[in-house]
Amino acid sequence: MKKQCYFSQHNIKYIDYKDTEILKKFLNPHGRILSRRRTGISAKYQRELAMAVKRARFMGLLPYIAG
Amino acid sequence: MDVHLQRIQKSHGLIIPGSDGHRLLRYMNEIHNDRQAVYEIGYLFVGSLPEERVPAENDKVRKIIADAGASVIAEEVPHRERLAYTIRRKTVAGSYEKYDEAYFGWIKFEVGTVKIEGIKKSLETLPVILRMLVITTVRENTYLGKRAPALASVIRPGIQTPEKTLENAAAPVAPVVNIEEMDKSIDEMVKEV
Repeated sequence: MKKQCYFSQHNIKYIDYKDTEILKKFLNPHGRILSRRRTGISAKYQRELAMAVKRARFMGLLPYIAG
Repeated sequence: MDVHLQRIQKSHGLIIPGSDGHRLLRYMNEIHNDRQAVYEIGYLFVGSLPEERVPAENDKVRKIIADAGASVIAEEVPHRERLAYTIRRKTVAGSYEKYDEAYFGWIKFEVGTVKIEGIKKSLETLPVILRMLVITTVRENTYLGKRAPALASVIRPGIQTPEKTLENAAAPVAPVVNIEEMDKSIDEMVKEV
């Protein structure tokens, strides 16, 4: 069964770096971004997600390494 | 235009005043300078700042942005937040200040593209700003805010993929067996022996 893109499903056009609650769902326990294979989101949103996570990390909203 | 000048322009990449290339360049510069864009600046105020001074410092940020001729679209007043990691900042003396907490705020505005660099430089001079991030964005609201936790609870990627759910569904479920039937079958087996 093919997984649906979460962002397309919920009609989220832009991924905001301030929405850390959503971004956290796409990180593993170490704080690394999950692969597309795991997230099941489209390539476009995976790129946006990666950008948002990196911005949130820079602003101290998400960790670079969680332990 | 002089053919000779044209040749020089072509070979050296020079823009000769009064030439077609020069006019085009000026026109393109005008278009570029008039262009407006939507920006968002996220910033962290140092955690050592007393709570009551936050609105005053935030007004300074707003003033810098407003003075550049920007029109504010949306904003969030800085609120105290625990940082995901300790941020260090080098002081003039050469030692480091460490911050585990900071006030995070953001402001979204529209301004001419030539002005944004000036805004950024002015904000960087403010000592209360620990860190800042300038991004280009869209006019529409991109921040889900309070809606986010509800949406986030819907997904658990990597933990429960549909493939795994399917596997679970296909897993053999222990059949419900009637005790009397089981006794009968056991009796039959015993009889056979």
